[in-house]
Amino acid sequence: MKLLLHTLPSVPLETEVICPDKFIGNSLDAIGAMTVMHGNQACILTDFFTLTDDGLDTIKVEGDLSKVKLIGSEMTQGKIIINGSVGAHLGALMTGGEILVTGNAEDWVGREMSGGRIVIKGNAGHLVGSGVRGSDTGIQGGEIIIHGNAKNEVGNGMRRGLIVIGGNSGDFTGVNMKAGTIMVLGQLGQRPGASMVRGTIFSTQAAQLLPTFTYNTTYKPTFLKRYLIYLKKLGFTIDDAYLNGKYQSWSGDSLEMNKGEILLFSE
Amino acid sequence: MSGSSKVIENAICTFCGCVCDDIELTVDSGGKHITQAKNACVLGKSWFLEHKVEDFPVALIDGKEASLEEAVYAAAEVLANAKFPTIYGLSDTTCEAQKQAVAIADYLNGNIDTTTSVCHGPTGMAFQGVGESTASLGEIKNRADFVMYWGGNPAEAHPRHFERYAVNPKSPWMPNGKEDRTIAMVDIRPTQSSLIADIFLQIKPGSDFELLWAMRALVKGRALDRTVEERTGISLDRLEALVQQMKDCQFGVLFFGMGLTMTRGRHFNVGALLQLVTDLNDFTHFVSMPTRGHGNVTGADNVVAWQTGYNFGVNFNRGYPRFNPGEFTTADVLGRGEADALCVIASDPGSNFSAKAIEHIKLIPVITLDPKPTVTSQHAKVAFTTATYGINVPGTVYRMDNVPLSLRPAFDSPFPSDEVVLRAIKERICELRGITPNHKPAAA
Repeated sequence: MKLLLHTLPSVPLETEVICPDKFIGNSLDAIGAMTVMHGNQACILTDFFTLTDDGLDTIKVEGDLSKVKLIGSEMTQGKIIINGSVGAHLGALMTGGEILVTGNAEDWVGREMSGGRIVIKGNAGHLVGSGVRGSDTGIQGGEIIIHGNAKNEVGNGMRRGLIVIGGNSGDFTGVNMKAGTIMVLGQLGQRPGASMVRGTIFSTQAAQLLPTFTYNTTYKPTFLKRYLIYLKKLGFTIDDAYLNGKYQSWSGDSLEMNKGEILLFSE
Repeated sequence: MSGSSKVIENAICTFCGCVCDDIELTVDSGGKHITQAKNACVLGKSWFLEHKVEDFPVALIDGKEASLEEAVYAAAEVLANAKFPTIYGLSDTTCEAQKQAVAIADYLNGNIDTTTSVCHGPTGMAFQGVGESTASLGEIKNRADFVMYWGGNPAEAHPRHFERYAVNPKSPWMPNGKEDRTIAMVDIRPTQSSLIADIFLQIKPGSDFELLWAMRALVKGRALDRTVEERTGISLDRLEALVQQMKDCQFGVLFFGMGLTMTRGRHFNVGALLQLVTDLNDFTHFVSMPTRGHGNVTGADNVVAWQTGYNFGVNFNRGYPRFNPGEFTTADVLGRGEADALCVIASDPGSNFSAKAIEHIKLIPVITLDPKPTVTSQHAKVAFTTATYGINVPGTVYRMDNVPLSLRPAFDSPFPSDEVVLRAIKERICELRGITPNHKPAAA
């Protein structure tokens, strides 16, 4: 199925219907008549998109989607490919399937997801894999792979899963983290791991940690090499020095259980 | 004093969040000018004595004079036709007007936000995430023996805060006033406020979170890296002594201002402070309170919260309230060019929002309600001149400690109140949309 944006939304467009689960078993006409919210106006999908049935299960979406929110929301299966950039809440609450974005994504990528995979070839906004405000639980499973940079609060409240940032991450990466793994191939922003309970945050660069983190040792973590090889397969450039190098291990946050781990490349 | 001049006792000053309720106003014999504002601070005196009823038109449509009814119709039409109408401001008006504004946002399935989002919005987020141990200013005045101000300068922003509530007042439990209290200040530079402090911590800019985190670790007896000294500018020994003093007090209070909420870390800074207060309650009684700026910004938080469940940045597009700072806060909505109509009540985003947001304000129809012309009203499709709350308009305002107070206005204004204008706009919107007020149909 192909969706081509023919009319630019003048205000935010909420399109949780763009999801394999919603499309399966429906005719082109029925899909085109699905409700989307253009601000406070209930519209139908064909008011904004031209639909073409190419006989494939994958949903391909094209156009300037920067004001289009909630694509792939609650997705459990299938694949969505977005050619270009996309608005906020991509793949919110998804439990399975895959979303690929060739451009950038706005805030809240993979909000509260618990399965599946989201790949962003460009940059992402704030709160990648986080919970909504007021919730203490973010991503509970699945993978979010950002090839570019991400802004603040990556993995806020993360409980399980993998988040990879190919570039730099913003402040408070892994804040309130309960478990899971965040890998930042560039620079961590300020105050990574604040209030983290367990889990692992990794970076190839040195970082200034909070005073409630304590240095343990410098070593070669066995598991890390396997993760980095996996990232290489996903298309990231991983220097051999990172594959075979040593890492500083820090424990924190001592204000919580002090069982979180931050690994920083050493030599 | 002239025989025909009028005195209003216990009038309320709505300039800042202290909302002092002991002002004695004298109104001249013409009944249009306040000649004395006894007990008011320098800011309050300016607020009252410089107020005059000016000869502005009651309303302008596209810059041309219009009747109130014409302007109400024009404003209602703009809002009713919008797909993403945004209502903003509200911190310098009465709770009664704020209530009408929330109703409009609800009937329009629009967006509503207050100036909280650009001052203590992070505090609201931290309250939601962490919670708040607090008290009334009356309780603090009577009982607090350890008073700390973090990231604020009350001597200049809330001049009577010391005198009325937290530093100087005497009480049965604090018979010697300031002598019975320890006053601590945390800021990045000395201020007029720090001059009265017994303890002043001059910290490195942007290190609030690290310092609060270190204090939490000391309170809880957890591992702490000594680099905290180098990063915050405060020695560990000094910090340990301070924390011990905080644990040893009988009743501590931690006031915090925008020096904490609007520096890097924002809601996490406030969350850290609120968590510190929670931690201290394992040892003694400790409370916290934001020192709010505008006269009724606390009222705006309360009204929006009791009508929607959230205190700012609320969206009704789907017919029910959704809260998401960053997504539904006005500075962000305008900055991303998302709103297609804007109604501003008692605020001036045109003079203090980002360049991108201001550019967008110039592109969309704007409605303003303000006693004076503003930068925003210069771009307005419809601009109302309204009466000033507290001086001309009665109603309810909330002090920074969430205590509601009834206003005692000094004299009438020829202009309608915000409440009157907003109520009329609301009723016209209901007519246009075929809604019976108070009976909103189910969302689409």
